[in-house]
Amino acid sequence: MTSLDLSGAQIARAVRNGELSAAETVDASISRILQLEGKVKALLTPLFERAKSFADQLDRKIASGEEPGPLAGVPVVIKDNLCMKGIRTTCGSRILENWHPPYDASVVRFLEEAGAVVIGKANMDEFAMGSSTENSAFFPTRNPWDLERVPGGSSGGSAAAVACGYAPLSLGSDTGGSIRQPAAFCGIYGLKPTYGLVSRYGLVAFASSLDQVGPFARSVEDLALALNVLSKPDPADATSSRRCRPDYQKCLGREDLKGLRVGIVREFEAYPVQPEIGDALGHVEGILREAGATFLPVSLPTTIEAGLPCYYILAPAEASSNLARYDGVRWGMSVEAEHLVDLYKKTRGEGFGAEVKRRILTGTYVLSSGYYDAYYLVAQKARTQISREFAEAFRNVDMLLMPTTPTLPFRQGENSEDPLQMYLSDVFTLPVNLASLPGLSLNAGRSSGGLPVGVQFVGPRWGEETILSAAGAVERVLGKPAAAFGGEGA
Amino acid sequence: MAVSKEEVRHIALLARLHVKDEEAVSLQRHLNGILEHFERLKGLNLENVNPFEREDLDVTPWREDRVVSWDGREDALSQAPRREGDFFRVPRILEGEDD
Repeated sequence: MTSLDLSGAQIARAVRNGELSAAETVDASISRILQLEGKVKALLTPLFERAKSFADQLDRKIASGEEPGPLAGVPVVIKDNLCMKGIRTTCGSRILENWHPPYDASVVRFLEEAGAVVIGKANMDEFAMGSSTENSAFFPTRNPWDLERVPGGSSGGSAAAVACGYAPLSLGSDTGGSIRQPAAFCGIYGLKPTYGLVSRYGLVAFASSLDQVGPFARSVEDLALALNVLSKPDPADATSSRRCRPDYQKCLGREDLKGLRVGIVREFEAYPVQPEIGDALGHVEGILREAGATFLPVSLPTTIEAGLPCYYILAPAEASSNLARYDGVRWGMSVEAEHLVDLYKKTRGEGFGAEVKRRILTGTYVLSSGYYDAYYLVAQKARTQISREFAEAFRNVDMLLMPTTPTLPFRQGENSEDPLQMYLSDVFTLPVNLASLPGLSLNAGRSSGGLPVGVQFVGPRWGEETILSAAGAVERVLGKPAAAFGGEGA
Repeated sequence: MAVSKEEVRHIALLARLHVKDEEAVSLQRHLNGILEHFERLKGLNLENVNPFEREDLDVTPWREDRVVSWDGREDALSQAPRREGDFFRVPRILEGEDD
């Protein structure tokens, strides 16, 4: 058995007990990356030398009897919109191609303090805008299960890295589905926590009222372990909640799900999804029923009618404001010009890709004089209504079972010419961000063609324990998802 | 409510974004496509709904207004495309103004 076959929790236990060294786990991770990266292209910046030296330090710490932390020696991959001091952080964009942040994101610091070893920075859609990782300014990442297809996005590199077994854990960010959709497409687990649970200090902002950082893994225990490490209150992020966090690993021991009430969204049943996804939903429903859960219909009429337009007004509006900081003056790319306004225009015109420009323009338009009331304000009202609908539904149920995506992973290039078609990929995930809820996408097997099929659990605010324990119950029946290219899950 | 090419140019200026002619055409098409999609919001009954109600969110915590030292000044300035001492250097700001 090599460390490739082990979950993050198992690696940490073995490293802490001295059965495995951090240097060995890092070497195994590097050789896996060298073996597969030419095909998959999940990483923008490998950090092998840094990882080796971090692992050596950790091994010395352990040898001298120091506490190495709950993620001791666990290789992790970080999405390239999370800052690491002195390490190139591109956000998948030309405009930040050579930017080296002067500080660490809090979540990166939390992971390293817990003994995790960062092995590389992952590819992503530029500024997290996209659902396929084809919008990376550098290269597209490929789906490890079918190289002709997309890994999903925007955290496609992070998802593909875990699916390939580069690392048992990675970090992504989710503004409208950017963790859950690629988790579904790559056949793994991905968790978007409740808004305010995980610090965003050092996450490059896209839409600040929606962005959350969360983990990818191939075992539910690893998700829970990662969440224990990541979910510390952080004074550096004003939206970080100060409430006490439970031990998320503890909730996984539940033998059955007796008393759990699961909602099925009536309006989503009418929404066309590919038959394999409908089958997977039925299968997971059966497993949950068998474990003792009961099912109830719930209704979210505004969410299904207005979720997509509401999101595609609010997220670009916030993005147009957040991305105003890339002006060619203080950091990042800069184009020579005679006048300041030309410097801004040329730098941004050359530095941003097509999708980022579309969103900046859309956002600027809906916030501009004369259109603010007609679009932005109406979308904010719709958001209130959507939040209320979910709150109402959670009076009667403890969690929802929904599709993660309407389709299986699509082909490279299939949707890239039609942005509006691409946006439909997020129809089941983005309402969860609008209502600030936690959502978990879990692999529920593969289609007859071998493509991963995911389903989504959505909890009420701070309901991570409920969706993690339900995912644990499904994992006990279906087993942990396998790694792509051989090498079974632990 | 179709957006004209001139409006696209105006919005691009507001956004400080240079767009080439062919980009303007494609952005105009996109904007008109997505605005059509936004029309679905018009059918909702949102009377008396507070647009900024976020009852479900924790209140932003207060913190003491206390000065803390920060030693990242050189790190921050070191990323500047153009620098003069401890300042970011920019080209002139007012159109037509002589140096």
